[in-house]
Amino acid sequence: MSEYIVEVENLTYSYPRKSNVLVDVSFKVRKGEVLGIIGPNGAGKSTLCKALNGLVPHFYGGRFSGRVVVAGMNTLEHTVAELATKVGLVFQDPEEQLSGFSLTVYEEVAFGLSMLGFPPEEIDARVREAIEKVGLKGLENRSPFELSGGQTQRLAIATVLAIKPEVLVLDEPTAQLDPIGKFEVFSVIKKLADEGSTIIVVEHEIEELATFADNILMLNEGRIVAQGPARNVLSMVEELKKYGVNPPSVTELTYLINKELGAKLDVPITLEEAIKIYSEALGVM
Amino acid sequence: MSGLGMGLLRKTVAEVDTWIHRLDGRTKFLFFLWISGFAYLFCDYAVTAFFLAVCLVLAAYARVLRPIGLTLLVIVVPWIAVNAVILGLPFGFPWNETVIFEFELFGMRIPVYYEGLSWAVTWPLRIGVTISAAMLFFLTTNQARLIATLIKLKVPFRFIYMVIATLQMIPMLMDEANTIYQAQVSRGLRTDVGLLKRALHYFALMVPLTLSTLYKVQVRAIALESRGFSAPVKKTLLHKTDFDKADYMFFAAMALATIGLLYIYFTYGFSPIAHMRYYIAG
Repeated sequence: MSEYIVEVENLTYSYPRKSNVLVDVSFKVRKGEVLGIIGPNGAGKSTLCKALNGLVPHFYGGRFSGRVVVAGMNTLEHTVAELATKVGLVFQDPEEQLSGFSLTVYEEVAFGLSMLGFPPEEIDARVREAIEKVGLKGLENRSPFELSGGQTQRLAIATVLAIKPEVLVLDEPTAQLDPIGKFEVFSVIKKLADEGSTIIVVEHEIEELATFADNILMLNEGRIVAQGPARNVLSMVEELKKYGVNPPSVTELTYLINKELGAKLDVPITLEEAIKIYSEALGVM
Repeated sequence: MSGLGMGLLRKTVAEVDTWIHRLDGRTKFLFFLWISGFAYLFCDYAVTAFFLAVCLVLAAYARVLRPIGLTLLVIVVPWIAVNAVILGLPFGFPWNETVIFEFELFGMRIPVYYEGLSWAVTWPLRIGVTISAAMLFFLTTNQARLIATLIKLKVPFRFIYMVIATLQMIPMLMDEANTIYQAQVSRGLRTDVGLLKRALHYFALMVPLTLSTLYKVQVRAIALESRGFSAPVKKTLLHKTDFDKADYMFFAAMALATIGLLYIYFTYGFSPIAHMRYYIAG
């Protein structure tokens, strides 16, 4: 058994009407790792997410070459439904994730489990656990369409968590949320990361991503242009900006201080790190 | 689906609980087919009006009279009005012969015919029966429970997809139409215009509305698939899918009514009250 739970090798993919959306993409993810995927719009991030649960190419068609193996299952050899137990995909727009005919939060979370044939007692236990995990306890009987944006996205995450997939893939889960909604969703993702879940998350909120991602992969025009530990990739200020990705503010500030003033400060990627580095530099600790 | 459409479903399916809501979806769907069939079997505005009244009484009991009534007001009433002019007046309806009354316009005496007027009323009423029964089914049926029933009946997933898409299309269309209309209004579309112009505005929305709804249905299909919808396993049904006493009583009532209606049909013909002379006009 491989030490990697996700293995993507030389993945090249074209939609039926759009060529080379992904070109020769290769990476691996260990169990319990959090991989952040960044890049400008149109870089192929969402397509990569869909390739991980088999929607690409099973649902979309197109030309697919290379290999994607998740939890030992080659996505080309298994249906999306079969892969659903291994890979949980959370969509950008939470409303798109919902079945549309469940009248309560409880029913919505239970839907996937019932489709996968879990016994009723286990469905009940898993639904309650998932709802609690995303902080929606008490809202079980609320209509999914009466929730706030952040709550709806947390519900979408719960629907996936209930299935207990080995890999959780989140495609810009905070893109359509207000600041409170973003905070709520990031809190859940951080909690899951702390619990050791394997997470692949596409995110534009680099500052937040820096606080929980172990590794970062940057895509541009379908190709990987950088990958490695979060600290290494996010410290590549010039590279990030070249591809239209804003590095964390504290990283950019420190980079500029080092560059312009000749200082030799460690480059922080989170606010906490920056406070520590600057406190030491200013001798206030 | 967020605003109008889901609000309507929520209000009618989730927050109201009558014996009609508790009837199995299959029972209500059978009722829809049954009453629509009889509405077309008879060619009699009085009988059809009776069928419509039955639907509306059930709708009132299930507290869904308002949306159904509004739909009928928008579709059936204007249709009857236009039909009455075209068929009831001497504009060439071939079987017009019995003059009910005459009125004077610009110095001319214009007759109004019974045959044309009967037809003018009967057809929209038939459609009204179909719409009312279909909406009664849709607005009082928990979709998740209906889908559980279809799964239990071993209906192919492709067909269940179609049912889901159809059921979701209605509230989605309502939401999308509302959103697009508001967007148009905020971009200067005048709302202080007549009914006809406003109807034309809605017509202009049809293309973006259809495209965006189709896209949403496709995305919903992807979401369902990602959650194992067509997984080749025995599904766990969380909703009761068996007929209960109320369903059997409803079936019995329909069976009795069928006997009665067939007796009337074979004894008194297709138009027992209005005595319309032709089943097919043209």
